[in-house]
Amino acid sequence: MGRFVGKPIPRIDARDKLRGTLRYVADLKVPGMLHGAVYRSPVPHARLKGVHLDPGFPWNEFVVVTARDIPGENRNPMILPDQPFLAEDRVRYIGEPILLLAHPDPRRLRAAFAHIHLDLEPLPAVYDLEDALRPDAPRVYPPDNLFVKYEIRRGTPEAVFRQPGVQVVEATYRTGFQEHVYLETQGMLALYRPGDDIKIVGSMQCPFYVRNALRALTGGREVEVEQAPTGGGFGGKEEYPSLLAAYAYLLALKARRPVRIVYDRHEDMAYTTKRHASVVRHRTAIGADGRILAMEVEVYLNAGAYATLSPVVLARAILHATGVYHVPDVVIRGYAVATNLPPSGAFRGFGAPQTLFALERHMDFLARNLGQDPIAFRRRHLLKNGQAFPTGEVMQQAERVQAVFQRALEVSRYRERQQALEAWNRQHPNRRRGIGLALFLHGAGFTGSGEKKLASRARLVLLPDGTVEIRIGSVDMGQGTLTVLSQIVADVVGAPLERVRYATPNTRYNADSGPTVASRTVMVVGGLLEQAGRRIRHRLEAALGRPLEKPEDYEEAVHRLFEAEPTALEITEAFRLPPGVEWDEERFQGKAYLDYAWACYVAEVEVDLTTYQVKPLKFVAVQDVGTVVNPLLAEGQVHGGVAQGIGFALMENLEVKDGRFVESRLAEYIVPTALDLPPEFEVEFLYRQGDRPRGLGELPMDGSPPAVINAVVHALNTEIHRIPITPSKLWHLLHPEAPR
Amino acid sequence: MKIRFRLNGRWIETEAQPFQRALDLLRDTLDVISVKEGCGEGECGACSILYNGKQVLSCLLPAVQLDGAEVWTAEGLLATPLLRAFEEEDALQCGFCTPGFVVAAYAYVLNGGSEDAAEIRRALAGNLCRCTGYTHILRAVQRAVKEHHASSSEKRG
Ligand code: FES
Ligand code: FES
Repeated sequence: MGRFVGKPIPRIDARDKLRGTLRYVADLKVPGMLHGAVYRSPVPHARLKGVHLDPGFPWNEFVVVTARDIPGENRNPMILPDQPFLAEDRVRYIGEPILLLAHPDPRRLRAAFAHIHLDLEPLPAVYDLEDALRPDAPRVYPPDNLFVKYEIRRGTPEAVFRQPGVQVVEATYRTGFQEHVYLETQGMLALYRPGDDIKIVGSMQCPFYVRNALRALTGGREVEVEQAPTGGGFGGKEEYPSLLAAYAYLLALKARRPVRIVYDRHEDMAYTTKRHASVVRHRTAIGADGRILAMEVEVYLNAGAYATLSPVVLARAILHATGVYHVPDVVIRGYAVATNLPPSGAFRGFGAPQTLFALERHMDFLARNLGQDPIAFRRRHLLKNGQAFPTGEVMQQAERVQAVFQRALEVSRYRERQQALEAWNRQHPNRRRGIGLALFLHGAGFTGSGEKKLASRARLVLLPDGTVEIRIGSVDMGQGTLTVLSQIVADVVGAPLERVRYATPNTRYNADSGPTVASRTVMVVGGLLEQAGRRIRHRLEAALGRPLEKPEDYEEAVHRLFEAEPTALEITEAFRLPPGVEWDEERFQGKAYLDYAWACYVAEVEVDLTTYQVKPLKFVAVQDVGTVVNPLLAEGQVHGGVAQGIGFALMENLEVKDGRFVESRLAEYIVPTALDLPPEFEVEFLYRQGDRPRGLGELPMDGSPPAVINAVVHALNTEIHRIPITPSKLWHLLHPEAPR
Repeated sequence: MKIRFRLNGRWIETEAQPFQRALDLLRDTLDVISVKEGCGEGECGACSILYNGKQVLSCLLPAVQLDGAEVWTAEGLLATPLLRAFEEEDALQCGFCTPGFVVAAYAYVLNGGSEDAAEIRRALAGNLCRCTGYTHILRAVQRAVKEHHASSSEKRG
């Protein structure tokens, strides 16, 4: 705990945001700018044999770009080399980009679309992941529609399942697609400068990912990429902005003028990435004493038409599949399934919400089936220190899991409320109340050897005027990076908070601190900045001739340091794995994450038996994420994550019909409003002196859906295996005899 | 057509097109960028303006209807206790919904809204925020109502 770290400091950029003077990409005024638009495939799967432009239409007013205009490689450099920037001879989903247009008047763009004709030879398409796995399914990704499949294994589960006297319990859990609904839609601006030196400015989480994509697109150019203030991301602006930047770049290159593309809400919802819909099958072997002996978990993710980040989403999903429990013999298999839908991608939680929903529902389901109390059942199976996760990693923080569990039960008065609600239900024939919980973890930072490969760097620059500049690629998209990293730096350098400046993330001037994802920023990048800050502090203290103690010491030290030579002091630190951290990415064995956050969430809900609406009444979120740099901002992040989790569980329904997302407008896709959140909400952080931060951003998304649904199950005494459970779905669940 | 209206306390004269939305006139012609487009179809509240004392969605309002109106946007609502409450309660994250919430909250306080949480929730239900989960916004508005009452009773007393 320092002068700033640990304090509830209001966010540094609050005033600009409140006055509305902060310019997001759509707010930038650029003289001579053209508006860009993307022409997309109208069919889910086809051979593309030709693109024809109406000869009678005044195309000379427009800039037209096709795949032939790509100077470098027409491959988005992701994990698998399967996705073109622009379709050439095949389209694999409705909305796949084929052609780009730019014009000074945005209204002319739609008019031009009517004058483009495609020569298409339709191919059979498949949307449902279970259909895509059938042997006779249309081939989206040969040979078997699997982008990747993984397995984690420990012990000999097959043998355990065959043992006499073992009871086998099976259940399948399903989660739907989820749309991010960042309030600011995707937007990208390409600024044209002489010599084709195009600069990209836009809404993004990962400027260096965008730079890498443009390097491939241009055949090796170092394009300058800068983040604009970003109106929410939640993973939706992790990989997608690379495509949009490529489109803006290509148009600007051809037009030799600035071009901006800003999606409208419908385009954004219909064609950008979603959270992977999932099917998770649990088979569990229970011994005569009612204990879990073995588990078999199969995880299927609907990845859409291109692999994008699906392999790593799947890895995280399966690595969270058995959560905080000890399962002596276990096998977890994961499959990323190709379908003719827009590619799924990163979304807060990154696979973990799907498997943790299944697991935390399954723990309740098992307990109920076995006539055991769900809390005692969980407690019985908690990993003890020294016991291994399926990866072989040994649990070392069991007491932290116990502590969040215990504390959540206390704060929520779980037992007492359970009885009180059951009594309440007996008095109220048309309403049902219930309480439920989820106990869970989230691995912080990239999975496996990810952080080693990223080898992030972070830079601090002490300017002669005493400003400390943070020069990194990690962005603030609302989660508060700008504020919390400034707090960390101010403390370690010994500077006043106002002397720390967060330079706009830019690939030309800043160090590549890796993507702003995976709850890694405070833990990994904050750690690097601390190291850099310590070196700056040593220099200042050496110049001063004594330790920096009082706030005034800082200016004095700066003065002394730069007295002789006023050149900025620049320190860059690079990430190194701590010794002994090993990961076998073939066998999924070793240390899967640098560290973990632990949490227990409790929800109380009310179900109205006339409208079938589920109302969350109360929420308790207890977590251990290590040191909390800013408790005010951290609390807000929990509130927001839980809201998204409640939406995922109860409201955010995204159906697919004929290859399209049906709910592709905000009028149809329902996200929580101020009326949908629990009136009572308690957030607690447990941590110890000397703790380091261990990642918070995604955690609240993992545990809130199962906590809410377990409460609904308690209220109704009916099992729920699928989310979202909207009122109409709940009605059908309770009236299985009714026609659909 | 020529229109004349009061924007953040100053009379403005400008040209409005027949099918233009007030949102576009404010943003494109007058560079009032606090008014955001989150959906363009009346669902998100990011484009909220204070129009003759009421919260109105500028994406649904024809620009010509600005004529003669009294319009306030977040740019003009500076230095009110509301802004301090939003800042100190951390009632914002990415900031994209924020000017719209400032307008909604200002309209609520201005029109004599109470400290009652349920009433505030109803008043804010037309504005979407995907970051905060609303709890901090609710706290900020409650606090602003309190401070508003305190300062107006001071004036009276
Ligand atoms: S932009 Fe007007 S309500 Fe969304
Ligand atoms: S602060 Fe991001 S949408 Fe409200």
